[in-house]
Amino acid sequence: MDMLTALISIQTFWKILLFIHFLLAVVLLGAVTLQAVAVSMPARQAVGNFISRFSPVPAASYATMIAVLYLPQALMGAWIYVKYRTYVRIPMEGFRHWWTVGSFEFKEHVVTMGLALLPAYWYFWQQPLSEEHAVIRKCVTIFLAFTVWYSFAVGHIANDFRGVGS
Amino acid sequence: MTQALDLDLRSAPYGSPRATSAPTSRAGTSKFGTFAITFGIAFAILYTLCERQNWPLFTYHPAVDRLDIWRQPGIPEDGPPMFWYGWVVLSAAGALVVGWIAAIASGPWLQRATTFVCLLAALWPACFALAGVIDERASFNAEFLRSVWVSGIPAVIGATALSYFVSSRWVERAWTGWLLFMPIGGLVILGYSLNSYFLR
Repeated sequence: MDMLTALISIQTFWKILLFIHFLLAVVLLGAVTLQAVAVSMPARQAVGNFISRFSPVPAASYATMIAVLYLPQALMGAWIYVKYRTYVRIPMEGFRHWWTVGSFEFKEHVVTMGLALLPAYWYFWQQPLSEEHAVIRKCVTIFLAFTVWYSFAVGHIANDFRGVGS
Repeated sequence: MTQALDLDLRSAPYGSPRATSAPTSRAGTSKFGTFAITFGIAFAILYTLCERQNWPLFTYHPAVDRLDIWRQPGIPEDGPPMFWYGWVVLSAAGALVVGWIAAIASGPWLQRATTFVCLLAALWPACFALAGVIDERASFNAEFLRSVWVSGIPAVIGATALSYFVSSRWVERAWTGWLLFMPIGGLVILGYSLNSYFLR
């Protein structure tokens, strides 16, 4: 850490970390959205509008990647959260941005609940897929997609207040 | 397309290691599956409880880079305390233990015990909220109803009665469903607790 801060300023270090957090979030968002769409959509139709002809991904192949991405992403967020608490939230409260503060507080809980579902989520997507767990597999996948979308949106708003490029 | 792919993926050769390790029925749910499902349910309940009661395993003071055991708000010069890490670690440790016990001792009683705990987790805050409404509207002094322990009595009775009388088939079918209901219920409670931020 000391070697790193000798090369770049501490502020730049945290901004790079935040940017990596953002890039990982984009990849995770893409993967989890495609999987959620794949489990939600009926079988592909040859004719019809764009949505009907949309070809979902083989959903099962995304499960391990999503689980592997979600965990370090949450850990990285937990690390950056230290700086948020001291350097972002306090001025945020000073400017009375209560909605942003509250939404970010809720993000903590949303991510934590998503994290706890990861072992079960990974288990439900193990091959060959169990027909018995089809409904819960679909619901857990959609719930995880919600956690990622919510966290992405709220994180972006907090970043706009004080973060990369703000 | 998804269904077609799933069908194709399901057709793994019978007897192959992948096919035999797969979750095919409740009775056939692997030990890891039992652990994972129980862990998810237990974590959601424990995390909500730890957050609401403010029971962190440790408190981190980022401004002075100090870690204190249990809940230590510290002096104002220490900067803002962070309890979230402590809640997560304590809930995860508790859920790991519960999940491990479930995995080594899985049986029909596990699903009924899960049903009881989940019903209790749902009924207790509901009874507590109802007690608050009664206290506000009652013409007599009903402040004793505001006690968490008083509202726990009807919750325990209700959870015991419901989990005793529901059929084994329902208990079995609902088991994995708690995995989704508990985190969503937890988020409703935790979200409601933040309403002061949104109503200012």
